[in-house]
Amino acid sequence: MTVVVADPHEARIGSREAFNQARGLARRSIRGTLRQPQVWLPGLLFPMFIAAVNTSTMGKAIHFAPGFEGVPSLLAFLLPASITQSVLFGGLTAGSDTALDIQTGFFDRLLASPVSRTSILVGRLAGASATGAIQAVVFIVVYGIFGVRVAAGVPGMLLLVVFAMVLAIVIGGFAAMLALRTGSAEAVQNVFPLTFISLFISSAFFPTEAMTGAYQWIAERNPITWMIDGMRHQVIDGLDWSEGLTSIAIAVVLAVLAVYGANRALRTRLRRAS
Amino acid sequence: MTHPIEAEGLVRRFGDIVAVAGVDLVVEQGEIFGFLGPNGAGKSTLVRMLATLLRPTAGRARVAGYDVETEAGAVRRSIGVALQDAAIDPLMTGRELVRLQAVLHGIGRGEADRRGDVLLARVGLTGAADRRVGTYSGGMRRRLDLALALVHEPTVLFLDEPTTGLDPTSRLALWDEVRRLNTEGTTVFLTTQYLEEADELAGRIAIIDGGTIVREGAPDVLKNDVGAHTLVVTVAPESEAHVRAVLLAFGEERAAKPGSVAIGLTGGPAALSGALRALDDAGVVVEHVELDAPSLDDVFADATGRRLEGAAAGEGAVEEPA
Repeated sequence: MTVVVADPHEARIGSREAFNQARGLARRSIRGTLRQPQVWLPGLLFPMFIAAVNTSTMGKAIHFAPGFEGVPSLLAFLLPASITQSVLFGGLTAGSDTALDIQTGFFDRLLASPVSRTSILVGRLAGASATGAIQAVVFIVVYGIFGVRVAAGVPGMLLLVVFAMVLAIVIGGFAAMLALRTGSAEAVQNVFPLTFISLFISSAFFPTEAMTGAYQWIAERNPITWMIDGMRHQVIDGLDWSEGLTSIAIAVVLAVLAVYGANRALRTRLRRAS
Repeated sequence: MTHPIEAEGLVRRFGDIVAVAGVDLVVEQGEIFGFLGPNGAGKSTLVRMLATLLRPTAGRARVAGYDVETEAGAVRRSIGVALQDAAIDPLMTGRELVRLQAVLHGIGRGEADRRGDVLLARVGLTGAADRRVGTYSGGMRRRLDLALALVHEPTVLFLDEPTTGLDPTSRLALWDEVRRLNTEGTTVFLTTQYLEEADELAGRIAIIDGGTIVREGAPDVLKNDVGAHTLVVTVAPESEAHVRAVLLAFGEERAAKPGSVAIGLTGGPAALSGALRALDDAGVVVEHVELDAPSLDDVFADATGRRLEGAAAGEGAVEEPA
């Protein structure tokens, strides 16, 4: 069986070969991330630091503030937010690494080989997704040490991990799109504050019931709120497939958009060489 | 029989700038073909078109028997490419990169490991194979780049300025490897801005300037065509015109570096003593004299009116957009 690719510049590449190429590139992506502690460590430590500060300063808010009904601890409330925050860090790395490949010429090395152009993107995003899974597991384990129990048990933890994997594709896809359009790692890094603004204007750190005015209005319509709330159900209330799958479905829709955009950007970059 | 590389009227424009202005080229099976020119002459642009990284604006090219536009995938399977910047992921080890390159070419893990071991040994990197590339020297990176370009046993190898920035020892080692590859039957297309490199390695060369091939042939033939030895006299700036007037009696003026006057001695080396006597009779104080056998630099100067040796990026140098 062969995969026929739209770009006439591309050869017919068997699906098995394309899979092996994507796997090889994903492995490279994961290795590259793991070998740069300065890249992944802040993505783990920063959310933990924020959670620690919030727990210390506002830990008692769960007893009286609206929206915290049934929440056993602020740390449990923050677990999905910390995972999301960490994946935002990691996903952007996928974009900046893609831009660095373009800047250093490694991208040209790939293009000069008979690699499926789609595998270049799939490999990068699969690497980001695997890194997202690792991040979710780290947070579940570390917060578990501090007493957080995922009420939904193992299925709930699996949902959290899957959510992190899909979210990594969303962020990685948008970041890769930007990288392919600009060829600049700096441009990708400059998006970082925007992703954090969108995280802070959501239910990540406070329930929307505790918000007021325009802030609340935006937060209630922020897809990050929908996704985090669905995951929070698994941590606080117990297994709820409807909530969990809704969160993941939203992430999947965003992932499809991100991958589509990244693929368009890749084709545009290839065409620009023509 | 098709040639490993054939180009016909190949043109590449970037907006209003013409980087390659109609190149016709035939590279024979099993030869080392040197592509010589200053920075910005169009060498890398031509290589990128032949390696399917850049589409020609006009013209046609076939590499390894395949059209670079309509059969790009087949071209990529047949060629090895080591681009100018040796873009190698510094976070990976040499062995991991060889494996990855093999996977990209559809080679299985076992075979990739076997070829990797052979190639890493061949380029002298066995001991460093499991070290991250970020710790490699420039010469080691170039050698690894070469190994990566060879992992799928290509029939045509493109080397884009493979020794730029290397120390003399690394340069000689790379030359030896290129020669060895060639004796094994690989056709090598080598771009360089080093005259000595083209002279040492290439069976035939083309000189490109301003996107156009201005000379093509075997180095010895091209040098013989230039003819006479060159007398280069260095004098004080105020004496240059005087010296020129004296020496024009012994041959035609040639392009020279600032502060020097160069003359193609019509009478060959035998005319040297007469020329020096004439300068002495004219009362010229000479700072330095040299008599050069025809070189590729003379060929370049003869074709373009400029010297290649020591030249910075030429006027109108073209850089591709990022």
